[in-house]
Amino acid sequence: MIYGKLWLVVRPTVGIPLFLGAVAVGSFAVHVALLTNTTWVKKFLNGAAPAATAAIEDSAQRMAAAPPTLVLPAQTVKQ
Amino acid sequence: MADADSSADKVWPTGLTEEQSEEIHRHLIQGTQIFGFIAALAHLFAYIYSPWLK
Repeated sequence: MIYGKLWLVVRPTVGIPLFLGAVAVGSFAVHVALLTNTTWVKKFLNGAAPAATAAIEDSAQRMAAAPPTLVLPAQTVKQ
Repeated sequence: MADADSSADKVWPTGLTEEQSEEIHRHLIQGTQIFGFIAALAHLFAYIYSPWLK
């Protein structure tokens, strides 16, 4: 395997954390840069607009307050 | 006569033999490939389901 002898001269206790740390810091930096330099990421993570959310919640509350009732058509009721 | 540096049993400055070094490297490469595959999949989902690049 190419570069397989790397760990003969670089101690794995140093090289592996350095490698993984570089990957972690690099990818984190890219995502922070996206979050701070664009508008759509924040908007996307916030989800739907508050007005739409409030309307959905209000509708759900009204449904919960008024339990469903069964109304039969007049001709099906026999006396 | 075999070169002293090419001996499989030689312990290098890091305290590893060639075999051990190759083994560590093999695992590291495999981990990188798995990480890369998951990251590529995550980016595909981000491209499909978010406004990214649209």
